[in-house]
Amino acid sequence: MPQTFVDLDVRPILRGGGEPFEKIMQTVDALAPDEGLRLYATFKPVPLFQVLGRKGFAHEAREIEGGDWEVLFRRAEAPVEGEASAAAEAPDTDDWPEPAQQMDNRDLEPPEPMVRILAALETMESGDVLQALLCREPMFLFPELAKRGHAWQGGFEPDGTTYKILVRVGEGQKPAA
Amino acid sequence: MGVTLSRWTMSYFAAALLSLILGECLMTAGYGFPSAPIRAPQTLVLVHLIAIGWLSLLLCGALFQFVPVLIARPLHSNSLPLPTLVLLVAGLAALLSGFLQLSGTIDVGAWPFPLAAGLLASGFALVLYNLGRTLWQARPLPLPARFVAVALLCLAATVALGATFSLVFAGPVHSEALLAITAGGLPLHVLAGLGGWLTFAAMGVSYRLLAMFMLAPELEGARPRAVFWLGTGALAVVILGGVAQILRDVTILPALCVGALLGFAALALYGADIFYLYRARKRRIIELNSQMAALALISLAAAVALIVVLIATNRLSDQIGAVVFLAAFGWLTGLGLAKLYKIVAFLTWLECYGPVLGKTATPRVQDLVIEGRARPWFLLYFLSVWGATAALLFAHATAFRMANGVMLVATLAIAVQLLRTRLLSDLTAEVPLPDGAHRPHLLVSLPNST
Repeated sequence: MPQTFVDLDVRPILRGGGEPFEKIMQTVDALAPDEGLRLYATFKPVPLFQVLGRKGFAHEAREIEGGDWEVLFRRAEAPVEGEASAAAEAPDTDDWPEPAQQMDNRDLEPPEPMVRILAALETMESGDVLQALLCREPMFLFPELAKRGHAWQGGFEPDGTTYKILVRVGEGQKPAA
Repeated sequence: MGVTLSRWTMSYFAAALLSLILGECLMTAGYGFPSAPIRAPQTLVLVHLIAIGWLSLLLCGALFQFVPVLIARPLHSNSLPLPTLVLLVAGLAALLSGFLQLSGTIDVGAWPFPLAAGLLASGFALVLYNLGRTLWQARPLPLPARFVAVALLCLAATVALGATFSLVFAGPVHSEALLAITAGGLPLHVLAGLGGWLTFAAMGVSYRLLAMFMLAPELEGARPRAVFWLGTGALAVVILGGVAQILRDVTILPALCVGALLGFAALALYGADIFYLYRARKRRIIELNSQMAALALISLAAAVALIVVLIATNRLSDQIGAVVFLAAFGWLTGLGLAKLYKIVAFLTWLECYGPVLGKTATPRVQDLVIEGRARPWFLLYFLSVWGATAALLFAHATAFRMANGVMLVATLAIAVQLLRTRLLSDLTAEVPLPDGAHRPHLLVSLPNST
């Protein structure tokens, strides 16, 4: 079964100057085993990634309209429907090394960007980071990265048209820190 | 996150193509309009074989694969589409039996229409549930997905009207309101289905697919938003306003006129957007699918122009058959076949070579097709559709049948190209499959186990 997500929007609390941490933890504690949390916040809630990571949640953060953030927290060990598609943990990239290789795939027709990224990753050492620029979110690439055990983090740049993805070779299969 | 292969999409495509070919065989044989009247049961057999069997199954199969791409979320259920397909095909068979019964071709009792209503309503309800749950997770929706959401609402309206007609035809309904809707609601059923469900979804998806395949900028600005709101307004006025007028026992003409004005405005702006996409593309030489999509879009423009001319000359009700034919076969079928040519190749390539990409030399997507061989058949298809439309306009039944024969040949040839692509028969060099790659099944897309 796919994980379902309980929505929690803490933006009103944050905009009112309040502290949403307790509310978030209450919501997380009330989640059923097959549920995840979809959190809306006015900033990227990096400290929460650590806290919920210790509770066994992987996270995926993406910027949404108006500079707000949507973060999906899913139980890292939860089974995902079908193949190894969606379950890859979106890791914190703060401790990642500088990209060993960079590529600009924005002017390539699909699926050439995906082919090039996968080909480059095969030549790189475990732990190396590849940075690629794309002109859209590479939806068909993610399951392939997950299957091959790579970790990744991606999102649209502030210009709204360039999608930047960082892929770290062969780290995805290690347990979340 | 990410999108995997939709397991049953190829089965939908296969069932859809079989329906199209069967429909073209019937038209070539002179079955239904224009040899029979436009509201004759024989014509209704044809219309529903094309609208449900071909166009709706094609669109459902495509949406199960591409709605997740539009919204960057996985499909709610990858297993529901199979029972959905069974319900829809069985419901279509029951519906066609009902029309054959009306025409006196068969005599099987009173069951076909109620059964068809139940099966089709259940099948389309599963489509709505699966895609609806998927879309609901992704709010706020990006613009192309909003078109799909409105199209799904129109599908619900189309099915509700159709089920009402079926139950009234079968006789168990005596409600005054439902009888009134059956008597006057046919234009609403046609507009909700052809304009709301099929055309509006195709418009939304075309924004994304054309931008993707031609490397054009994604359009999210004021004009595509205006297309969305004008189009949604047009459909709401026609469907909701029309039903309200029928229930108040007054003519639906005002609702149709206001809807037409809004709809024409939406289509004009949509045309400007698409024109811009073709001009702003970074890719100078476009693939066959984008070239042929242009012919489909020209057919849409021609259908709109035809409607305007016929309204001006007060001949729309006489020639509505020609308009619907051009919209169904030039625009929707033309776009469908053009996009199938790319989608089948892409999904087959991804299923077959995805697991080994980067690890070993693999063919490109375009190596799975031979565009030069497919192009003449596509051109022949469009020419014959336009010829058949002209034959209808000039009330030439024999010319219409001959043009349909050519359409049938062209469609068969295109279907053979799609089959060869799926079976990897057109790979230029006979290369053995690399280790880890697997030859796709014709009808089912299987996830690659690792």
